[in-house]
Amino acid sequence: MVTAKIKEAIVELNAKYISALDNKNMQDWLAAFSKMSEASYICTSADNSENNLPVSMMYDDSRNRLEDRVTYITDIWAGTFQDYRTRHFTQLLSVSDIGTRKFAAKTSFQVFFTPDETGVSEILAVGVYEDIIEFNRKTYGCLFVSRKAVTDTGVLPRYLVYPI
Amino acid sequence: MSNVTLDWPQDYNKVPKEAFTRHDIYKAELEQIFYGPEWHPIAHAAEIPNKGDFKTTRLAKVPLIVSHGQDGNIRVFFNSCSHRGNQVETALRGNKKEFECPYHRWLFNTEGDLIGCPNAKEFSPGFEKKDYPLEQPRTELFMGVVFVTFSDKTCSLTEFLGELTSTFKDLLLGDGQLKLLGYQKVRYKSNWKSYNDNDGYHAPLLHKAFRMLNWQGGKGRQYNSGIRGHLGFESALTVATGTNTLKDNSILDFKGSDPSKGSCIVGLFPTFVATKHLDVCNLRFANPDGPDHIEVHYAYFAHVDDDDEMVQHRVRQSSNLLGPSGLVSMEDASVFHRIHIGNHTPGNAVFQKGVKDTKSIPETMMQNDETGQLKRWEYYREIMGFHRKGA
Repeated sequence: MVTAKIKEAIVELNAKYISALDNKNMQDWLAAFSKMSEASYICTSADNSENNLPVSMMYDDSRNRLEDRVTYITDIWAGTFQDYRTRHFTQLLSVSDIGTRKFAAKTSFQVFFTPDETGVSEILAVGVYEDIIEFNRKTYGCLFVSRKAVTDTGVLPRYLVYPI
Repeated sequence: MSNVTLDWPQDYNKVPKEAFTRHDIYKAELEQIFYGPEWHPIAHAAEIPNKGDFKTTRLAKVPLIVSHGQDGNIRVFFNSCSHRGNQVETALRGNKKEFECPYHRWLFNTEGDLIGCPNAKEFSPGFEKKDYPLEQPRTELFMGVVFVTFSDKTCSLTEFLGELTSTFKDLLLGDGQLKLLGYQKVRYKSNWKSYNDNDGYHAPLLHKAFRMLNWQGGKGRQYNSGIRGHLGFESALTVATGTNTLKDNSILDFKGSDPSKGSCIVGLFPTFVATKHLDVCNLRFANPDGPDHIEVHYAYFAHVDDDDEMVQHRVRQSSNLLGPSGLVSMEDASVFHRIHIGNHTPGNAVFQKGVKDTKSIPETMMQNDETGQLKRWEYYREIMGFHRKGA
């Protein structure tokens, strides 16, 4: 059953997730995902997703890959890119109970980006998160088992450094 | 040749930065290059594998439909009704038996013939449907890669590609029998020539991932093909030994059969780059949009005979390694932007590594030399009619 508490916890999880990205805190981003080895993050276009084309902009299909994503950003790519701020706005659209304390949720997003060097804000991507979320009854907290960011934006206005 | 002028430096290893930023030069390039006697890859047959499949795209501003006809043949149409010129198809992709222009309900089959038009009795004397097919640019295929040209003067595709065909064949997994895995699409704030100069192969100094993974380049060769200076690159695959950096190194695995040419790059004049590295097979359809932007559609493929495990491996590697957000390539995208910003300053861009004589184009080059671009620049200068100082 989807209770008000569950919905509240999911909204809270989304707030933590977007705060982590907007603050470029990749450890907090990672902390929004389940510790399960199959925890995953995928970022792809609606065009790929709707046509069963699996290649994605980011395809982290395990907890290890999520941790490597953090290494990409904080160690491997450090100092090589033109940095930018993001600002995410989300709205929870639907939640359904899929059993064993897991929930499927959809949350729409819009993401603005502001390059440090120009200070001119533009839209990076809009779309919807399709999530599988685990709920912990003891802590009333939620984590992403899988988060798929599906962008309506078929052509991104720049290369991506940070997840969406 | 255009009336636009640009003073070109005397040294063959210098390119004036103005060439990247001037709007009048871009307009002349559209006529001379993009709508002129060059071949432009716009699709692979694997993107439209079934009869009736189509995709829409553009070459510079010109809208096109790539159609897999009900007769089994692949054709390219100008996406413009033969009646009043209205855009016929708006979907990015799909499968149809006919294309219908909604404006006056003119109906075309997938071979481009006009098969229906209401009120034809009231049309001009002598009107016949057979005179009004969807117009087609010249089209040729190389192992499934669909090329178009808008000029009657363009040489054959075989001549255009030249000796590059053998590298291109290896890159297309040997026979071009591909299966589409998906796209990454991005716009770069960069002139098309800066993109072309810097995508494909360049010295690995930029890529910190290579250092952290202790991943050295394999032995190989770089060569120019034909008068246009298309760039071919082949090298053996090597293994990354600094594997403590990542928790999941399977992203760097090679599961293919022949590592001796495990890395191939094809760079065609003017904008096309294709690459095969490890098990990634990637065609980059690049299209300029004004002097300051280029839109690149990275299309990724498997081979039709791959088993499920190999397809899944290619999907993981394709998504994470060499694209606009790839482990070893994200910095490339940054360089496209930064070079274009830098090109708004006076002076020349200078090529150095491998230059032995500044008064000629080198015929051969080492695999890490910058000189691979010089033949292409000389071809560009010549067809644009830019005068070299002291020549």
